Amino acid sequence: MRVLVVEDEADLADAVARGLRREGYAVDVAYDGDEALEKAAVNAYDLVCLDLNLPGIDGIEVVRRIRADGGAQPPRVLMLTARDRTVDRVVGLDEGADDYLVKPFDFDELKARVRALLRRDAGRSGALLQVGDIELDSARHEARRVGRPLALTPKEFALLHYFLSRAGQVLSQEDLLEHVWDENADPFTNTVRVTVMTLRRKLADAGKGQPIETVVGRGYRLREEP
Amino acid sequence: MNPPERLLDRLPEWTRSIRFRYTLLYSAVLFGLAAVVLAAIYLVLLMALRATPVSSGRALFCPHGECITVITFREAERLVNAETLGKLRYYSLGALGVLFVSSLGVGWVVAGRVLAPIGRITAVARDIQATDLSRRIQLPGPEDELKQLADTFDAMLARLDAAFAAQRQFVADASHELRNPLAIIRTNVDVALADPDASTDDLRQTIAVVKRAGDRMSLLVDDLLALARRQQPTLEHEPVDLGAAVAEASDDFMVPAETRDIVLDRAIAPGVVVTGDREALKRVVANLLDNAVRLAPAGSRIRLATGSEGNRAWIAVADEGPGISPEDQAHVFDRFWRADKARARADGGTGLGLAIVRQLVESHGGEVRMHSKVGVGSSFVVWLPITRPAIDGGQR
Repeated sequence: MRVLVVEDEADLADAVARGLRREGYAVDVAYDGDEALEKAAVNAYDLVCLDLNLPGIDGIEVVRRIRADGGAQPPRVLMLTARDRTVDRVVGLDEGADDYLVKPFDFDELKARVRALLRRDAGRSGALLQVGDIELDSARHEARRVGRPLALTPKEFALLHYFLSRAGQVLSQEDLLEHVWDENADPFTNTVRVTVMTLRRKLADAGKGQPIETVVGRGYRLREEP
Repeated sequence: MNPPERLLDRLPEWTRSIRFRYTLLYSAVLFGLAAVVLAAIYLVLLMALRATPVSSGRALFCPHGECITVITFREAERLVNAETLGKLRYYSLGALGVLFVSSLGVGWVVAGRVLAPIGRITAVARDIQATDLSRRIQLPGPEDELKQLADTFDAMLARLDAAFAAQRQFVADASHELRNPLAIIRTNVDVALADPDASTDDLRQTIAVVKRAGDRMSLLVDDLLALARRQQPTLEHEPVDLGAAVAEASDDFMVPAETRDIVLDRAIAPGVVVTGDREALKRVVANLLDNAVRLAPAGSRIRLATGSEGNRAWIAVADEGPGISPEDQAHVFDRFWRADKARARADGGTGLGLAIVRQLVESHGGEVRMHSKVGVGSSFVVWLPITRPAIDGGQR
């Protein structure tokens, strides 16, 4: 899952990015509204953590434009705001933000809200994701196949998470690079192929059959039925 | 305590109203006047018409066994007069009675009409809470005394409303400014604590960030306290040698200016004495210089000068910094306003410095002016009233 953190306080933006990266998200950071819009135009984010009070283009305007230009599946928007007046939150929510958090916030709460927002796209209501015999608990950071725990690296975990939330869809290497890796990933390396390979090996070791199949010339697909 | 007061207390509520007292007064005055007029008419008539009732008949005339009293024509006239005066007395008293009752009624109605706007003013004033000052009396009618009262009241409400709104805005701004560093501290600590394998370098970096945010908060709290304290009239009123105070305040900036390769030129005129608070005036100079030293480019020159003109003293600070665009110049003295939010936060400004300057200068009965041109620089001039010219070259 790919996240954009928009916050003009560099010390806060970097800490949020660091914390979310450790959760396995691919995180980019923008320090003002213009940079946020540039990045949102280039990359397909699943979620934007957005400070409302930005120099230049302000947060409300960023929400509005992200909603307008977001295409078929605009990113979820989580507002971060230091203003606790109801009217500020109402304006933000009305303009298309999905949730808000008042500063200073508990980082665990931020993580929980990010998870909850990302779940909405998958149309589920719990932290537990299950397809066939594969289970993934995004809150506890655990993945199992046939009840057997999988020892995954954060990137493999994030990749499996993305496959599970798009079960049955064909995902190209570009899709995976867009949503699982951040902007620092080199698009010309075979990092996606290698990570998919190691993930498939770990899945195959834990149970019978290979749930992630290759669709020749198009990408990969997680089979919904085992 | 004394009996009449207790008697007043025992009276029903409505008898204590202005309306009741006005009615009584109106009616008593009307009744008194009418009584005096009627009594005067009666007395004048009494004097003019000698009215003695006919005493016993002096001559009895009995032609056919029946006797009739014989009186003279004059006596008959007196008799009629006596009767007329009697009737006059009777009707006058009656009219006085009717007048008294009807004047009570008319007085009550008239007093009610006159006092109705006051009732309205009272009702609105009672309705208004300190938190909702948006209501106004808006008394209709001609420009009379009560309308003036209501309008004055409305104007006072508007001023209060504006003051409360400004206060709320200030609290909202202040909490906003404090929440950001708090969020930085909390998030950094949360993220660092959640990482079991954090290296010493990571932790050191987190501590540095927390320290930065903490420093920013303490600066901000200092400035907020300075601002709050200056809102109360706790300023000293003593003669201050302006030149000495300015020199003292600027001494602190010689080293920071030098480290940034900025030349600080001082041209301080001796012997200007103003009345005010020495520490507050030093703070004015310090805040102006702080901005200049922080924002001016390396290698530039900052000029600080003082002097006097007529009965006003001035302090001027001019820099060769980035300057302020014309549309931003109106906001320069607003609290928490920054020309460039991202940059100003990074280099330690709280956004309160110039607001404090303006407040302090205005509390000294002076004013502060700014002239700025983008790319050329900004200059701030503080004007202060001189209460008494110095005689002995400012040596006090």
